[in-house]
Amino acid sequence: MSWSEIALVALGALVVALLLAWRGASRVDRLHRKVAASRIALDAQLVRRASAAVELATSGALDPASAVLVADAAYAASDAGAVTSPAAALKMDGLDSARERAESGLTATLREAFGSPEAVHDLRAGPGGEVLEGLAAAWYRVTLARRFHNEAVAQTRRVRRLWYVRLFHLAGRAPMPRTVELDDALPHGLEPAGG
Amino acid sequence: MRAVRRRGHRTLRVGIVCPYSFDAPGGVQFHVRDLAEALQAAGHEVSVLAPSSDDTELPGVVTAAGRAVPVPYNGSVARLTFGPLTATRVRRWLEGGIDGSPFDIVHLHEPMVPSLSMIALWQATEPVVATFHTSQVRSRALQVAYPLVRQSLEKIAARIAVSEDARRTLVDHLGGDAVVIPNGVYTQVFATSPRRPEWTGTPDAPTIAFLGRLDEPRKGLGVLVQAIPTILDRVPGARFLVAGRGNGIVAETRETLGELASSVEFLGAVSDADKAALLASADLYVAPQTGGESFGIVLVEAMSAGSVVVASDLGAFQRVLDDGAAGALFRTGDPGDLATTVLDLLADPARRDAYRAHAAQWVQRFDWSGVTEQVLAVYEMTLDADHAIAGDVMGRFMGLFPRRAGGDA
Repeated sequence: MSWSEIALVALGALVVALLLAWRGASRVDRLHRKVAASRIALDAQLVRRASAAVELATSGALDPASAVLVADAAYAASDAGAVTSPAAALKMDGLDSARERAESGLTATLREAFGSPEAVHDLRAGPGGEVLEGLAAAWYRVTLARRFHNEAVAQTRRVRRLWYVRLFHLAGRAPMPRTVELDDALPHGLEPAGG
Repeated sequence: MRAVRRRGHRTLRVGIVCPYSFDAPGGVQFHVRDLAEALQAAGHEVSVLAPSSDDTELPGVVTAAGRAVPVPYNGSVARLTFGPLTATRVRRWLEGGIDGSPFDIVHLHEPMVPSLSMIALWQATEPVVATFHTSQVRSRALQVAYPLVRQSLEKIAARIAVSEDARRTLVDHLGGDAVVIPNGVYTQVFATSPRRPEWTGTPDAPTIAFLGRLDEPRKGLGVLVQAIPTILDRVPGARFLVAGRGNGIVAETRETLGELASSVEFLGAVSDADKAALLASADLYVAPQTGGESFGIVLVEAMSAGSVVVASDLGAFQRVLDDGAAGALFRTGDPGDLATTVLDLLADPARRDAYRAHAAQWVQRFDWSGVTEQVLAVYEMTLDADHAIAGDVMGRFMGLFPRRAGGDA
């Protein structure tokens, strides 16, 4: 093989590498955007759920002890983390653990406050029904948003493990995204279209 | 962005893609048709893209994407649409949107079936929601094509599975997760359907209905036929109403049953109205399927119509029958157990009433009104995420990478 042939082969390899790098970079970029966007959406729904919980607590539909506890848990959840700015979302570090704990705490408190499905049914029929519907809607959307977010995180992690993505540092300095783990299971009787 | 809460009341332009032809109706097609109708009833604009030949009459919202050709795929013959001409049609439909305005959401059904939806996913630049219907075994071809479609799959912002089984299939074969939103049924249509005297049972001559393709063994007609002699032995007046098409099976079944065949009436393919009337009239509806079911929409229809369901204990059926509280279950593929279950039920009107009462409550969760709400919640979340990123930093930050308009290759 002459030098010119070797040069040609090397050029070919370079072009392939560049192409791979370009495609990989735009793929990683698209996934990073997806992670950040779904994280913002999740955050918005969590905030909405917390404010609906406060509204429920102040509506008089719950007994006073439950109301105080629900309000406390809701404030704890909204204090635990500032509202996500796009810049923060791009850090892709999940929610911090204090926020995750606080949101799970709100879920547990609400579940206790509602008690049985029959109690939820009565609440729905009562004066606080509208507030409860708002809470149920926000809560259901939290479960959706968290799934979609975690799905995006999983896809991103998969792509970032690809050899050429690692070789060319296509993810730049972006941190490895983390899933959001918290208890958001809807209590029985509050599921959408539950009958 | 929090100031402008959309709360699902904004009118959305939704583009729905169905991979299967409307020439031969099936579960996915009905789902798409009903979803489109339900979304329109909720005040949204909908356009459906589906394969269909020119001479098939289509609902108004459906755009025909060309003839579907029967191709062997995954062990059976499916009618699918593909090829460069189709790709052009899909592109034109995506670009056209509704009255020239682009779609807010593109909702693809079965994007892993090599047909329209897969092509649309590859081309779409709009936010994509995808619904997975089947619980199927993994196909070899798909494994080969997987690296090609995996990148497309990353475009899906939200995945929906129509049942727990469909979700599990998705998790096992593609990885990742999905939210379960059940198939919708217009329960009122079935609940208010008039009865037909000739199909209505009496205490001496109860009627037992079967629905489904006769020549598809997994639909389980054979299981029912084997149970018929035992049932007739104890209840000689019982009548079996068998609806559905199937070549050559009718004669074969008559031969198997001999003189008992006079108790079996073959109704052939029935219209939607006749199906509702049949389910409203019959005392029992038997679902002896032996597998391949991911949801069991007919069971929901039967429950809505007021028929008591006797079904094989497949996972999907157990779930749709509230673990046996809304209908009776028998061991899958066991004609003896089916006969016993049917006879017990025929002898016990109180138990039938109990099933009926529970079922009437239970089916509400499958009604389109609630199901549409859930689908709209998914759209809303998808758009929230999309807007969150499109509006803010990303314009500045990612302006270097314009959205590509062609495929995603």
